[in-house]
Amino acid sequence: MTAPATNPPKTTAPVVASVRDLRVHFKSKGGIVHAVDGVDFDVRDGETLGLVGETGCGKSVTARSFLRLVPMPPGIPVSGSIIFRPRQRCSSCDGAGCPTCAGTGRVVSPCPVCAGSGCDTCEQSGAETIDLLTIPERELRSIRGNRIAMIFQDPGKALNPALSIRKQVAEVFYAHRSDELLVSAGIDPGSGSMPTTLLRRRATQQSRTLESVLLSLPPLRSGRTAISEAADDRVATALAETQIPNPRAVMDRYPHELSGGMKQRVMIAMALACDPDLLIADEPTTALDVTVQARIIELIKELQQRHKTAVVYISHDLSLVRKVADRTAVMYAGRIVEVGDSEQIFHEPEHPYTRGLIDAIPGAHHERGRLAAIEGTVPELIDPEPSCRFAGRCDYAASVCWTHDPTLGPVRDREVACFIHHPPEHGEAPSFDRTVR
Amino acid sequence: MQIRDYILRRLIVLPFLIVGVSIIVFGLTRIGGSPVAIYLSHEMSSEEVAEIEARYHLDEPVPVQYAYWARGVFEGDLGWSGVAAAPVTAVFPNKLAATMELAVASAVVAVSLGIGLGTFAGARRNKLPDHITRIISISGAAMPLFWFAIVMLIVFWVYLGWFPIGRSTPEIFASIAHPTGLYTVDSLLAGNFTAFRDSVWHLVLPALTLGYGATAIIARMMRSSLVEELQEEYVDAARAKGLAERLVLRRHARRNALMPTVTVIGLSFGFLLQGTIVAEIIFRWPGLGRWMADSVLRGDRATIMAYVLFTSVLFLVVNLVVDVVYAYLDRRVVLGS
Amino acid sequence: MSTTSASPPIVGAHESAIRVRLRRMGETAGRVLSNPTTLGGLVIILLMVGMALLAPWLVEPNTPNASQMPRDWGAIAVPPGSPGHPLGTTNTGGDVLYGVIWGARTSLRLSLIVVSVTVAIGVAVGSLAGFRGGRIDEVLMRIVDVFLSIPELIFALAIAAVLGPSFRNIILALAIVFWVKYARIMRAQVLHVKQNDYVDSSRVIGDSNWNIFRKDVLPNSITPVVVQATLDMGNIVLVGATLSFIGLAEAGLAEWGVLVSEGQAGISGGRWWASTFPGLMVFLWALAFNLLGDGIRDVLDPKTETR
Repeated sequence: MTAPATNPPKTTAPVVASVRDLRVHFKSKGGIVHAVDGVDFDVRDGETLGLVGETGCGKSVTARSFLRLVPMPPGIPVSGSIIFRPRQRCSSCDGAGCPTCAGTGRVVSPCPVCAGSGCDTCEQSGAETIDLLTIPERELRSIRGNRIAMIFQDPGKALNPALSIRKQVAEVFYAHRSDELLVSAGIDPGSGSMPTTLLRRRATQQSRTLESVLLSLPPLRSGRTAISEAADDRVATALAETQIPNPRAVMDRYPHELSGGMKQRVMIAMALACDPDLLIADEPTTALDVTVQARIIELIKELQQRHKTAVVYISHDLSLVRKVADRTAVMYAGRIVEVGDSEQIFHEPEHPYTRGLIDAIPGAHHERGRLAAIEGTVPELIDPEPSCRFAGRCDYAASVCWTHDPTLGPVRDREVACFIHHPPEHGEAPSFDRTVR
Repeated sequence: MQIRDYILRRLIVLPFLIVGVSIIVFGLTRIGGSPVAIYLSHEMSSEEVAEIEARYHLDEPVPVQYAYWARGVFEGDLGWSGVAAAPVTAVFPNKLAATMELAVASAVVAVSLGIGLGTFAGARRNKLPDHITRIISISGAAMPLFWFAIVMLIVFWVYLGWFPIGRSTPEIFASIAHPTGLYTVDSLLAGNFTAFRDSVWHLVLPALTLGYGATAIIARMMRSSLVEELQEEYVDAARAKGLAERLVLRRHARRNALMPTVTVIGLSFGFLLQGTIVAEIIFRWPGLGRWMADSVLRGDRATIMAYVLFTSVLFLVVNLVVDVVYAYLDRRVVLGS
Repeated sequence: MSTTSASPPIVGAHESAIRVRLRRMGETAGRVLSNPTTLGGLVIILLMVGMALLAPWLVEPNTPNASQMPRDWGAIAVPPGSPGHPLGTTNTGGDVLYGVIWGARTSLRLSLIVVSVTVAIGVAVGSLAGFRGGRIDEVLMRIVDVFLSIPELIFALAIAAVLGPSFRNIILALAIVFWVKYARIMRAQVLHVKQNDYVDSSRVIGDSNWNIFRKDVLPNSITPVVVQATLDMGNIVLVGATLSFIGLAEAGLAEWGVLVSEGQAGISGGRWWASTFPGLMVFLWALAFNLLGDGIRDVLDPKTETR
């Protein structure tokens, strides 16, 4: 994996987000489902981290937790934390790229408490450190769509069928770039005059009915139109960036008039509109045709490199993730079982589950005949006992696997959660040499 | 364009339906006794009876009678109302205005309360406001208007004395001109605040009572559509963009939840229309409904016919409008059955 | 993964079709009644029906015509709690409790007759239209459309008015107005079910139209009809009471609507009981059937809202 010479190698780039011991449980008729049960991983600036696992392993819930989009009934308030270190535009080069920011155009925001010198709040990193799970709603809202963005699996469902493309994309600018809109419209955002206040409230989408009525009258009307046009310009630019042909025409359309690929481009445009530090992509190509998939993946890669955005790419398709992600985290039954460089994991998987996944991929190196499937099914995660969740399907399980939870531990260049690599103090440890099936 | 075809199709069918209704209505008048019974009295001689019957074409075959009647309707002659002792068309406008005032006030109450309550409850699913709304909705659909109105009267008029009965205080009503026939509008036009207050004060109780049933069904539909919409992915996607919850609710969820609610609003119009009959009886409101009720009791066929014809046409037109509005709102809808 | 090896025993291996159907009905009933509001509705219905059926034993029937209100000229317009008249009396000395109980009987008779007749006719017409299609369908549906253009209450009002004020005419009027609903529902269901493969396979076997209808189409179309019929049991009484309230039933009839109407005169004088109790019964009756109908719909028609 080669990185451009001016950028720091991705594997040692500073961490932009860090998931620590995330636990998300759900109330259900049968009991409490431990959908995500102790997940840890880091996302580094500018890298693509793949999050792989079969349906029901908790990867979507993990992804949604970043922006607190997990519905809280039936969800139960989580434990753990998701640490986020936002970036800001590099003041030396104004985002163009220079030695100060190592060519990325972005620097880490300094910690407001210690102004970058290092303190407890920022865990001695000097960077502004936010726990996404505990910050107040208002702060979270300023991060959503702005510093952290998300694209969803089915663009047909993720776009509001009743609103035009223009309205939906413009929302992001109104929410996070209202001052810029005002300036583009020739209005001074700092002024406290009545017309400016009304227009500013319009730009931030806070206008009440009476205000809207006032804004439709001639003196303020031109201001209102100017703001709309400023927004439209930005929408067109954002759409053009995702290679949507004829953006101005597409803007006026409604979601159902667009193809799946186009809709997903719109979603991507919305997500990258404010140049976020982190993009969460929840199976962005699963709902698309195969031919379109490839193009969308290419697009995401290209835009990611241009914006230097970190991406968490979620998928159930291991071979796809291999092509897309620098590093990969394999998830099973609510836990991470293996994390490391994508190519390395693919060539030398260290966890039995990962091995099974890779073996199951129909490929040239298999002879014609049976497909190698992993026996068994994902266990129900209701009030689980301490045990390795994969034990029932593992070819190498030993007695200790049934009584203790393995945790992630380092194995050469990566981390693996398995007793084969980290034998317990007591009890019989499993080994790759001893198959039990 | 599809919507245009749809409207066209409905418009073409409309007159046929109206003709069909008129046939039924006409048929009704020929059932059960002489249609001119109200104009006869015991003292008349048989020649006088025969003369009256000839005047109303009762000696001709039935289809011809229908033709006479239909032509009369087109020319604006809806017959003579025994109850009002005047031609139907002369009395109709004033009574229509009174009923319209009541119906519109009730509709305003029902739509605003219904949507408001439904949204409020839908956004707070399974919490207290939701349960209260659900009780209101369920009781609203089963509520006999005549009983509810009487109870409201007993509580608010007899015991609490907060609101008056009837449409107006006679002296105040007589003190202003009535260009439109709508008491509220006329008093505003005359700049007479006392009259306006009088008109509103008399409207409150009947409008709230009549609107209750419609409020219930609208709130119920609004609540359930909102709950459904809130589970859709685009709502989460909107939140992920950093929009305030209020905006997500208003612009995204509610906008889509309003669509099925619009059809219910149309349905509740029929509800309101029929409710005016009972409401006007109980609240002593001088409108079409009470006139119809009196006509029913005294066999005033002309009024009955006119009323059924009028309300059916109104009903058909409103349903058409509602369906078109719905089709316009939901561009994805496949129009036609 | 090993599969179960034993083959099912021969005896009792195949439950007879009727047993299966009964068992499934029982399961459905269980699910319907698991909802507390639905169960509440059913309880109220049972109480009211019980009251209706046991009326002659609950109160002294007014001989010779039990469905007319008795007159106790010695106790005019007495309030509830008076001796011998727990719910008070009307302006003409009629015992309100008597009216409440016998009114249930009247209402039961009304709703059963009207609903049975309308369902029978509506289902027949709708099935014919849906099954045969073509000309017959066109003609029948035009008629249905015209009927549906007139608001229900107003239509029934007009019919009862021209027929003459009597309870029997109210029943007739309601029947004429309400059958079209079932025709529409049934036709839509038949059209929908007709598209299914199992209908085609019956045809291929050579089954007659009537058999296909009986075995394939009817059982699968009946759900919305059942729901609507349950709801209508309540609504018919509601509309019927409204008609009698307006004055289209015989005076002095022991019927809820009539009683409310007669009790109106006492309102301004503060004599609330003669109207309130009978009206309350109408409400409870309609409410109970609405709750039950909704409960059935929630279970049998999963498209509607999940709580």
